[in-house]
Amino acid sequence: MSDPVATPAAPAAPTKDAEAIVKDEDCSKEYEPVVRLAEVETKTGEEDEEVVFKMRSKLFRFNKEQKEWKERGTGDVRILKHKENRKIRLLMRREKTLKICLNHYINPSVELRENVGSDRSWVWHGVDYADGERDEATLAIRFRDSTNATAFKEAYDSARDYLRKLLDGKDPDAAAGEEVKAEEAKGKESPEEVAKVDAPNAEEAKEDTKEAAS
Amino acid sequence: MSAPAENIPTFKVVLVGDGGVGKTTFVKRHISGEFEKRYLATMGVEVHPLKFFTNFGPILMNVWDTAGQEKLGGLRDGYYIQGNAAIIMFDVTSRMTYKNVPQWHRDLVRVCENIPIVLCGNKVDIKDRKVKAKSITFHRKKSLQYYELSAKSNYNFEKPFLWIARKLIGNPTLNFVESPALAPPEVKLDEAHVLQMENEINMVANIPLPDEDDVEG
Repeated sequence: MSDPVATPAAPAAPTKDAEAIVKDEDCSKEYEPVVRLAEVETKTGEEDEEVVFKMRSKLFRFNKEQKEWKERGTGDVRILKHKENRKIRLLMRREKTLKICLNHYINPSVELRENVGSDRSWVWHGVDYADGERDEATLAIRFRDSTNATAFKEAYDSARDYLRKLLDGKDPDAAAGEEVKAEEAKGKESPEEVAKVDAPNAEEAKEDTKEAAS
Repeated sequence: MSAPAENIPTFKVVLVGDGGVGKTTFVKRHISGEFEKRYLATMGVEVHPLKFFTNFGPILMNVWDTAGQEKLGGLRDGYYIQGNAAIIMFDVTSRMTYKNVPQWHRDLVRVCENIPIVLCGNKVDIKDRKVKAKSITFHRKKSLQYYELSAKSNYNFEKPFLWIARKLIGNPTLNFVESPALAPPEVKLDEAHVLQMENEINMVANIPLPDEDDVEG
């Protein structure tokens, strides 16, 4: 049985002096259990989704009454895509207790904004359901460094693009080439594309003339 | 989140210790994730239902967060009665709060005779530690579980409840598992609404996040 207290993401003991921290030791005293429970099969609710992106981060929520940012949790933020309906959500669980602190679908019209003077955090607005109830929240997320923050923004933005296509009734999973063909089918407005399409034929035509010459 | 009719195993956990050791901050960390820097003394008692998801199903711990300050009324037996487990907290940067641990323990076991008790030394993130590790021996004399904690850095923050949960159901293989992440409702926002949100964002994006020197995230 794996012990969640021993996961590699464990926050380090906050002092460098190992002697200063008391190592965990288990109290051996036995108690009469208050209830007896049987082990159960549990569900994450993510069974039908694939992980598009995952990165350790710290989440904040803006408290309007106190006009300040409050921590919401530390753990992996993930972008999850449903395998069938193809919807994409942001989901984050606090490490160790594995409770949810962020849960809402990515909205294609919501952009990530910079947070003043920080190159490793983003601010956005979401209608969040982390606690099961509707919460119109101003949120911020901070990463270890700007590389991680940039990676998150790229994944978030490509999810927005994907969802916008889905919303517009296009097939977001169509390969780029197929899309070009689809555009061409609509009408050859672009002279460049026309040229590209014509080029192979031109080659063939040359071959033909060579053959004819020989 | 949970339907009121839901019948899940529920326990009373009493949280005691001197004023200012971080009891309320510790509980808030578990509820909303926030870390409260300001000290606002708890009056009387606040009962916080903390739900945990385990491989033995969900459990609910009603945490009785009590006033640590004697001048705010002390604690009557009612706070301890029918307690299933307890946490006694002190602050490793204050010797007095550790000295008072035996008194808290006496008050507790006078009412709750044989319940699992965790002793927690909080604020181990602070460099100027006053209660040295080797001087913390009370838990051995009284067979208590002991954990060092930092509500600020989250160090060991899940362990007191994990240990208590294992004792309450009598199974050391209990672990916390992912709470079910239900599909959130789809939200459609009209343009006026989006505009209002944008305005809010513009204001808030100018307020820096706390602890910018934090390398964890």
